[in-house]
Amino acid sequence: MRVISKLGSLGAMLGALVLCAAASFVAPASAQTVDEIISRGKLIVAIDTTTPPYGFLDKDLKPTGFDIEVAQKMGEALGVPVEFVTVTSPGRIPSLLTKQVDAVISIFSITPQRAIQIDYSIPYAGQSAVVIAPKSAQIKGPEDLVGKKVGLTRGTGEDGLLTAAAEKHPGIEILRFDDYSSLLQAMVSGQIDAMGGGDYGEIYLKKAQNGDDFEQKYILKTFYFGIGVAKDNHNLRQWINTWLFTLKGDGTLEDLSMKYRNQPLPVLPVF
Amino acid sequence: MTTVLQFGPVLVHLDRLLWGLMKTLEYAFLSVAFGTMIGILGAVGRGFGPRWLSVIIAAYVELIRNTPLLIQLYIVYFSLPLIGMKFTPGTSAVIALSIHLGAYATEIIRAGVESIPVGQIEAAKSLGLSPYRIVRHIVLVPAVRAVYPSLSAQFILQLMGTSIVGAIAAEELTAVANNLVMQTFRSFEVFIVVAVIYFVVVQAASLLLAGLGRLMFRWKQ
Repeated sequence: MRVISKLGSLGAMLGALVLCAAASFVAPASAQTVDEIISRGKLIVAIDTTTPPYGFLDKDLKPTGFDIEVAQKMGEALGVPVEFVTVTSPGRIPSLLTKQVDAVISIFSITPQRAIQIDYSIPYAGQSAVVIAPKSAQIKGPEDLVGKKVGLTRGTGEDGLLTAAAEKHPGIEILRFDDYSSLLQAMVSGQIDAMGGGDYGEIYLKKAQNGDDFEQKYILKTFYFGIGVAKDNHNLRQWINTWLFTLKGDGTLEDLSMKYRNQPLPVLPVF
Repeated sequence: MTTVLQFGPVLVHLDRLLWGLMKTLEYAFLSVAFGTMIGILGAVGRGFGPRWLSVIIAAYVELIRNTPLLIQLYIVYFSLPLIGMKFTPGTSAVIALSIHLGAYATEIIRAGVESIPVGQIEAAKSLGLSPYRIVRHIVLVPAVRAVYPSLSAQFILQLMGTSIVGAIAAEELTAVANNLVMQTFRSFEVFIVVAVIYFVVVQAASLLLAGLGRLMFRWKQ
């Protein structure tokens, strides 16, 4: 009996230890105010390294990209180093809800649905879903796509937008590919007359042999990326907005866009 | 976490899945027809043609049987346009699938041809049958009959192999299923429904092929 009770107390101790460890693991890491971030000595930012050219790994496997550089500049402005937490796109809102991070900088499109759960800064970048086609083609809008083969990647934003256009303008033939590289290949080999893609799509096309023959025709829709912070963290959000205002003013964001996206940013509205 | 299966949002799109099934059957039927033709010509060419023809056919068979079907699809759809041969996704799929099956059918039918005893052919010759009639009645028919089970198994593989042509934007059952998954986010339900459709159709095709075999080769042993 003694042995059993000893084992029991040992088990209880172990259990308590595990609980402690678990508790420290889920303990809120995010700071509520700018002061707290500075006094803690680091800024914790959620990023995604699978979204080139915004977030990806360089040849030394270190995170880099548009979003990552924005995060580093935010750390510089606050005078603290940045700690990165890698999240997937569905993990972005939970990382703020569970207070694992101070901010999310990861092609976080501003939508009213998401803004119910978290708060957004003003947009720091934007990206458009566009129609790309050979320079020789006269395409100014969806009506010019009638009778043409339009390629896109299955299930993307362009899929929804162009499928809707095809329903409105019968005669647009939609070809769905499984991945972006097949889509680009179809465009380069002339199997499709136009394609829907991100506005950085031209960068990748330009690497092809006849890549210079293509250009952006018209914008389907523009998505704006904001920096996400926890709901009602007005102190941090206000600071981020002020900081972004200065970044826009001194051309930093524009330089980053040229560096990573090879083209200027769309006009960024504010709210 | 509990997963609740909801087939309702998938079954409302059953018409689209059935449309995809028709395309699958179309690709399978056309490629089996063309592939078998290639196979018969290939086997006869290899068995009775001149040496150079035999070498070309052997090279074709080895080239196709040692490369993945997906790569063959990519070459037909993405690479041939660079030398001016441009086909729609559907046509490209049928071309690649036919060339693919043709190589396997050549080998299977050749095995049948080789199983014909030389004496049988010599007997036909001594009876004064024309070369065409010898090849057709004395060699090919018994040869195909001998390898018919392997041939039907290859046809069934071909039917299921059509599921990858979505990679070159040719719509068929699996591609339609992928579209539905992206739309409804009910991947589990979509793929279960699609698996059931494939199972029923493939099972039916197996029975049909077995029945056809019995009908076509019903003379006494």
